[in-house]
Amino acid sequence: MKTINLTLKIWRQAGPDAQGSFQTFESGPISIAMSFLEMLDVLNERLINSGDEPVAFDHDCREGICGMCGSVVNGEPHGPEKQTTLCQLHMRYFKDGDTIVIEPFRAKAFKLLKDLVIDRSAFDTLITEGGYVSVNTGAAPDANSIPVPAPKAEQALDAAECIGCGACVAACPNASAMLFVGAKISHLALLPQGNLERAKRALGMVKKMDELGFGNCGNERLCEEACPKGISIRNIARLNREYMRATFCSDE
Amino acid sequence: MSLIRRIIRSSIGKKYIMAVSGACLSLFLLTHLAGNSAIFWGKDVYNAYAAHLHSLGILIYILEVLLALVFFVHILVAVMLYFENLGARPNRYEVKKNGANNWNSRTMPYTGLIIFIFVLVHLVNFHFGERTVTTAEMVREVLSRPGYAAFYLFSLAALALHVSHGFWSMFQSMGLNHPKYNNFLRYGGLVTALVIGAVYMLIPMLVTLNDKFLR
Amino acid sequence: MHLNPQIPSGPLNEKWERCRFEAKLVNPANKRKFDIIVVGAGLAGASASATLGELGYNVKTFYIQDSPRRGHSIAAQGGINAAKNYPNDDTIKGGDFRAREANVYRLAQISNSIIDQCVAQGVPFAREYGGLLANRSFGGAQVSRTFYARGQTGQQLLLGAYGALMRQVKTGKVILYPRTEMLDLVVINGQARGIVTRNLITGAIESHAAHAVVLATGGYGNVYYLSTNAMASNVTATWRAYKKGACFANPCFVQIHPTCIPVHGTYQSKLTLMSESLRNDGRVWVPKKAGDQRPPVEIPEDERDYYLEKKYPSFGNLVPRDVASRNAKEQCDLGKGAGETGLAVYLDFADAITRDGEDVIQKKYGNLFHMYEKITGQDPVKEPMMIYPAVHYTMGGLWVDYHLMSNIPGLYVLGEANFSDHGANRLGASALMQGLADGYFVLPATICDHLATADFQDLDIGHAAFREAETAATDRINKLLSINGKRTPDDFHRELGLLMWDYCGMARNEAGLTKALTRIPEIREEFWHNLRVPGGDGDLNQTLERAGRIADFLEFAELMVIDALDRKESCGCHFREESQTEENEAQRDDENYTHVSVWQYGGEGKKPIFHRESLVFENVQPSQRSYK
Ligand SMILES: Cc1cc2nc3c(=O)[nH]c(=O)nc-3n(C[C@H](O)[C@H](O)[C@H](O)COP(=O)(O)OP(=O)(O)OC[C@H]3O[C@@H](n4cnc5c(N)ncnc54)[C@H](O)[C@@H]3O)c2cc1C
Ligand code: HEM
Ligand code: FES
Repeated sequence: MKTINLTLKIWRQAGPDAQGSFQTFESGPISIAMSFLEMLDVLNERLINSGDEPVAFDHDCREGICGMCGSVVNGEPHGPEKQTTLCQLHMRYFKDGDTIVIEPFRAKAFKLLKDLVIDRSAFDTLITEGGYVSVNTGAAPDANSIPVPAPKAEQALDAAECIGCGACVAACPNASAMLFVGAKISHLALLPQGNLERAKRALGMVKKMDELGFGNCGNERLCEEACPKGISIRNIARLNREYMRATFCSDE
Repeated sequence: MSLIRRIIRSSIGKKYIMAVSGACLSLFLLTHLAGNSAIFWGKDVYNAYAAHLHSLGILIYILEVLLALVFFVHILVAVMLYFENLGARPNRYEVKKNGANNWNSRTMPYTGLIIFIFVLVHLVNFHFGERTVTTAEMVREVLSRPGYAAFYLFSLAALALHVSHGFWSMFQSMGLNHPKYNNFLRYGGLVTALVIGAVYMLIPMLVTLNDKFLR
Repeated sequence: MHLNPQIPSGPLNEKWERCRFEAKLVNPANKRKFDIIVVGAGLAGASASATLGELGYNVKTFYIQDSPRRGHSIAAQGGINAAKNYPNDDTIKGGDFRAREANVYRLAQISNSIIDQCVAQGVPFAREYGGLLANRSFGGAQVSRTFYARGQTGQQLLLGAYGALMRQVKTGKVILYPRTEMLDLVVINGQARGIVTRNLITGAIESHAAHAVVLATGGYGNVYYLSTNAMASNVTATWRAYKKGACFANPCFVQIHPTCIPVHGTYQSKLTLMSESLRNDGRVWVPKKAGDQRPPVEIPEDERDYYLEKKYPSFGNLVPRDVASRNAKEQCDLGKGAGETGLAVYLDFADAITRDGEDVIQKKYGNLFHMYEKITGQDPVKEPMMIYPAVHYTMGGLWVDYHLMSNIPGLYVLGEANFSDHGANRLGASALMQGLADGYFVLPATICDHLATADFQDLDIGHAAFREAETAATDRINKLLSINGKRTPDDFHRELGLLMWDYCGMARNEAGLTKALTRIPEIREEFWHNLRVPGGDGDLNQTLERAGRIADFLEFAELMVIDALDRKESCGCHFREESQTEENEAQRDDENYTHVSVWQYGGEGKKPIFHRESLVFENVQPSQRSYK
């Protein structure tokens, strides 16, 4: 298998309040069949063997669905491949001799914990503010009692595909969470089940979003380009609509 | 009152204000453009148009105040957004790759600032100055100075850039985004910006290049 | 010890009704007096936490990831089964008659309510054009009864449960403990009364007391190092409970999925599953000649061996997972494997494309092809895919009764972490169903029985048992950090994984298992003397986390092998080479092995103690599976 050699410039920071800086490593031979995270594994094994602390980075499923992984690679969240999470990015997309700069997702609302690991609990907090349908277990009507037009269900699913990785926030020049919130609002607003609480949800989630220190949407579209699931900013437009509708027309 | 406070405090509310005020400003730009086009028919037509405007009296005064208000709101909220957004990412990236097609959106605050300065200069030039000559002569006088002409051209280019993103952006902010008409909005914005930019810029260019213009 | 499965009497279809009817209830106003700990926030843990919170209990939910939305359940692709009027015996048959009939029946009964619940939560299942739910056939089930949301059913179901959970977080009924790992179970007066955890960010060791502890910590497939499981999947929680007295059932039952992307190199960290729906149109083959190194497109039709179609004319490429996996291994063992490593078989879409056109095939599998190409750099439209089996699901787990309670009163086990419903082989799309059935419907209906009847001593984390467990956990961490040897945790993990794959994998025999049984303690010995974990215990230390989990795998692996040795029959996914029919198919031994093998911890350095839960089939009579 073909191998390449890379120079890695990685952000190191011992803890949330520590001073961080870049550390440069020579990768040694890297098989082009490796995934990006496997490349980091190889580096870490070497670091452990030489008695150094390995680079901390988040990951879990390594198949692009859990949303745990993600760093900014050469200025792009999840790296250069479109619609690909970092764990699914493969080394064959890099060239021998490349320098790769790896930085954490940065935003005021995402506190850095260590090296490339960040705290995204702000996303969970957002969901607590209404990112659900209030239905108790066992109280549900028959699933087929409310038909849902297939195209609507598909559109809802397009939005629901969000994996909550935070790349949209990382990519946005203003660190805005509008794509994340827009996706959840859209997912539920498009379905009859979510319709009843749409006003409350839109107002609650947007209020919380502003409190948490995310920036404002500048309609710059970088979020949609960075999103590993290709979620469209049409969902942001829908959020804008839902929010204004809730502000002017609802009793909330 | 609480409704207004709620709107201005929320991020989306602010975007709506930007969009609505931007739309008003765009409308103003278009009417102003239409009116100023009289200039291409020579100084008499143009002076007549100016005289007609002045004859509107109190009405034009009200419109001016409203316009100033809209400008004020647009700028105020823009400044608020700008500083909030700076705070949302205290630590910058070492490497930042910008998307291929967003430099007009990225530069909104800067093109806005240029427009703001331009508007001030423009007002000093044509609004607050002492009036001893006809409007056409005044235009000729100001724009025949190369420094002013260059500044006008530069500012108008910035304005076109501002509108090229702003046009599509205000629809997106107001929640209008659908594959059925997205192309129309995107290209509509470009065309509007081009028309606005080209027509306005024609005036200083004609003054500079054509000695007979407005004489 | 007597293991009472507590299966209610009466006809099969009335058992669950009767169980709920007979359970002692907790008065709604009293529910707030009970604290319940839930470990795990996958489908089982999230659905249980949410429902218990709705009922009014005080719930604390612990999990390793930073958010409950990331539990490993999120990776399930294919779909979720629901009964909507199907005869349930194919799940029993699918489990090769090693599952409890009453449990399987209950699963089928509850499954409709699960779909109703999920739809009400806003899970966007696929719809027919008329607006009703669509379904497809899947994973060895013989009827179309799988509900799905594109290739991300698990994600959508988990997000539904996550939403329900966050709603309870908002009301304050559930408190979340993200990035927190359970290190020990605390048993006081014979009851499960709490856990000891480590905060993965600060390193703090903490105790939590409750009236009941629920484990929903998923499967242990990562004992093989390479599997389709997420990196953090582990056996730690269940293993520590085992060492505190909970029995482990059928640890050797592991499902190996036939359609995964083959291994490329030693650096590989995990295996990726390709949905088995691919087998609906793909044809599986290997070269007829061993060692044939030609690229697949250059191998002419008559030199290809479509071994599944040949061997199983009626099921062909759609034989159940275990059969497909075993046959792939058999072909590769004969030297006919494809690719650089020889550990792969072809899955070929050329005929399907000629038959239906590229558009149709792209429409069906485009996203899977895309994913394959992303990982391997090859386009399945131009050349056949290469696939190989990989460890996927563990049917074994902590032993539980019909109430999902383990043999330790107050300790409940849900989802993949228990052993309950799948016997020796799980049918596709039924793990999601089980996790949600356990969490939404079974546990909330049965846990009250324990809470209402047990005698609870008043206690808090000041109790000596908590101190003791905390000290043990701290000592162990200090030990791991102080060895300062030469090998990394992953290095040991790889070695263990390979050993298990070779000797306790798709096919097992006495000699291999015995060999593994001597090797495992040797690796473990070296681990505790030659491990290297840099950093300290006072902050985020991912090497330390991994080392702790691998230490448990190194103990657990031994139990797996002991169980595999003990079960001398072949059944479902457990293939003992000594027990096969003349046609090399699995040969069950119903006379001696119609039971659940249940293992109890015998003490440090001692053999585990064997118990047997005999299985009785009232409605379906065991028969030999045949897919010819
Ligand atoms: C790739 C793949 C595809 C699959 N596809 C399907 C399918 O199509 N249909 C189907 O029915 N099934 C499928 N399965 C199986 C199914 O997804 C799992 O069996 C099921 O989701 C397990 O759910 P769970 O809730 O029991 O555990 P998990 O989802 O694994 O959750 C475990 C939870 O426990 C936590 N945890 C673990 N250990 C500890 C600890 N020590 N301390 C604290 N917390 C801990 C974790 O953080 C996590 O939150 C698939 C599995 C895989 C791997
Ligand atoms: C005639 C003059 C102007 C016109 C026609 C105009 C028009 C617009 C329009 C249509 C938008 C889009 C609103 C949206 O995104 O929803 C916009 C945005 C903006 N304008 Fe203006 N504008 C003008 C002058 C100014 C001035 C003078 C400033 C500042 C000093 C300014 C600063 C901005 C900024 C910063 C934005 C981006 C706001 C954001 O997206 O966050 N504009 N403008
Ligand atoms: S590790 Fe799960 S998405 Fe990358």
